[in-house]
Amino acid sequence: MDFGFSDIQDELRGLARKILDDAVSASTLLAYDEYAEPRFDRALWRTLLDAGLPGIAVAEEHGGMGLGFMELGLFIEELGRSIAPVPVLAHCVSGMLPLQQFASADIQARLLPPAARGELLLSGAFWTGSVGGAVEPVQALPAEGGFILNGSCRGIPFARQADWLLLPVHSANGVAVVLVATDAAGVQMTDLQMTHFEPYAQIELSDVRVAAADVVMASGGEALVAWTREHCTAALCAQQLGAADRAMRMAASYTSERKQFGVPIATFQAVGHRMADCYIDVECLRLCTWQALSLLSEARAATTEVQIAKIWAGDVGHRVSYACQHVHGGTGIDRDYPLWRYCLWLRFNEVTLGSSSAQTAALGQRLSQGEGLFT
Amino acid sequence: MKIQFTEAQLALRDELRGYFRELMTPELRAECERDMGEGGGLLWRAALARMGRDGWIGLGWPKEYGGRDMSPMEQFIFVEEVMRAGYPFPFLTTESVGPTLAEHGNEWMREEIVPKILRGELLVSIGYSEPGAGTDLAAVRTSAVRDGDDWVINGQKMWTSLAHFCDYTWLAARTDPDAPKKHKGISMFLVPNSDPGWSCTPVHTLGGVRTNATFYDNIRVSDAHRVGELHGGWKLITSQLNRERLSLINFGPISELFNQVVHWARGAVYDEASTVAEQPWVQANLARSRALIECMKLIVYKQSWAMTEGTLGMADASAAKVFGSEGFIEVYRLLGEIVADSGLLRSHSAGAQEQAARIERLYRTASIITFGGGANEIQRDIISAAGLWMPRASR
Repeated sequence: MDFGFSDIQDELRGLARKILDDAVSASTLLAYDEYAEPRFDRALWRTLLDAGLPGIAVAEEHGGMGLGFMELGLFIEELGRSIAPVPVLAHCVSGMLPLQQFASADIQARLLPPAARGELLLSGAFWTGSVGGAVEPVQALPAEGGFILNGSCRGIPFARQADWLLLPVHSANGVAVVLVATDAAGVQMTDLQMTHFEPYAQIELSDVRVAAADVVMASGGEALVAWTREHCTAALCAQQLGAADRAMRMAASYTSERKQFGVPIATFQAVGHRMADCYIDVECLRLCTWQALSLLSEARAATTEVQIAKIWAGDVGHRVSYACQHVHGGTGIDRDYPLWRYCLWLRFNEVTLGSSSAQTAALGQRLSQGEGLFT
Repeated sequence: MKIQFTEAQLALRDELRGYFRELMTPELRAECERDMGEGGGLLWRAALARMGRDGWIGLGWPKEYGGRDMSPMEQFIFVEEVMRAGYPFPFLTTESVGPTLAEHGNEWMREEIVPKILRGELLVSIGYSEPGAGTDLAAVRTSAVRDGDDWVINGQKMWTSLAHFCDYTWLAARTDPDAPKKHKGISMFLVPNSDPGWSCTPVHTLGGVRTNATFYDNIRVSDAHRVGELHGGWKLITSQLNRERLSLINFGPISELFNQVVHWARGAVYDEASTVAEQPWVQANLARSRALIECMKLIVYKQSWAMTEGTLGMADASAAKVFGSEGFIEVYRLLGEIVADSGLLRSHSAGAQEQAARIERLYRTASIITFGGGANEIQRDIISAAGLWMPRASR
């Protein structure tokens, strides 16, 4: 039982924080508000790639650092703290990781090294629906060792910016998982406008051909979907942790400066106690999230722990967001002050891949079958 | 970062579970039930002494005190398991006063008192609160007046739990009535409850648990009974309270209760077509309880780890206390809804079921934890100041 950071973890956190602090601020994020520009800072992405951070959890043989999901999660926590405009969740968690876990050596050798270098951008169709959400309605008919795809996906992050999409699809043998080039004939994208301005697109597929070499799993893809969504859920928790911690600290600083009745409003017990509750909430989210990351990093069963982390991510995100806005008064909703963007991200992370209520129902069902009890 | 027990720690946990299965005889259980889960009976005493002899109480203590030199994490695993087994473990003595005496006590305390605590032969009650000093603890009026080489102690303490079967009271007394700041004039004493000037009267509580008012009438003790620096008691009080706050949040018993309620719900008939566990609202209550207890577990694990590293912070100790105490109450309510009206039957009633009757009692006893060990309002003040660096109002 070790809650401390290793030297490498400390170094990675420090490196990530330094890069992000230098590159991301309210004024740089201004460029992307209201979809004025796609929310993707390519210069920052290049800097992060050069530092090797997106490849933290990719094996050294594929050009990564060869560390674990724990380290990637700590990096994502820093991204949440800065709400950085880079596609780490899409590219790393829903792209490189499932390929590394499930794809053939050929596919890995072909895609992972350029993906780790950032020459290719990946994304995956794993971010919609609730707990254990259904595979998008894409039908796959066998053709020349590969498939022909028809159907649609409701929303894929960074789809328009990506080169390859990892798609679970329905075939006669259950779920298959394939790679689709975003410039393939028959792929049509429509941009979505999300609450938090992240680039998202819905995809229509009309007779899209997938070559045999691009089939990741011809059948049994359910395992890949479950594995990937579990990792995506834990990654959202890490992102939520960083964002909630930052919003809370912003509110603590603001209430310590802001004076009413001649004193800092932080000295009112009602304000101090509301912030103390945020502190406790964020600590709970931190511990549950770190536990989930730690277990997944060791390839241990973590379904219960991930569900619990996401319950907290939803509840804590909601409570901290509103508490922080409230103690800021009008300043919190003023777009010239940085808090408002955090509120959007806290909301996104709360709802995506299962809200607290949905996760509670899923966990409750498992408990009622005798799973997930204390050991 | 590795939030899992080591193989050795898991093996220790299994060893302890086996040990307590054997130790907790039906007779001992019945006696503990009779004593409202507080202990103090003959079998309870004998079991404590046996744990001491077997080297469990001092598991994480240095060898010089008779311990086994393992870390606070192993010590924590022991306390968790002894509580999970349903034994009312005197953790205030062993986990909060004991360590404070070892750190600040004199030779007599370190060489006699602490080893006796670790052998399960000596118990200490805590004398802080008074009729006029609760949350504002620095307002204590119980006095210790120097008389030659001795101290003469006079006053009254409230809520001196377990005092009726303890050997000493860890007593806060005013030694400097003229101190410019009232928390600067307090010293700590170890007062023998066997002194003729010591008396106690019971206070019966909502939860059925007995606590006490204790009286100190011209008790004369030597200076060796004084702990730490003269007028420097406040530091010892806060140090002891930090440890107490951590000990209060032991998740062993509640995780065991949770598992039992799940097992019960899976077999219990709700209506002609379904079990209790199949009801969506029951599943929601179970999941919410599970998520709360999981956090209690992680918070105490992290703090045990922080104690091992010597980095236990004030804000985190207070956060554990607030979250744990309010979490217990919420979980008792959620699980109580599941056992429904069975949870309104007292344990000796006809038709009483074991888990449901335990919830009936726990729900009554739980209110103490939000104010005992330092009111949660004060803890929240500490959290916003020490955890978030927010300025505090002057009091």
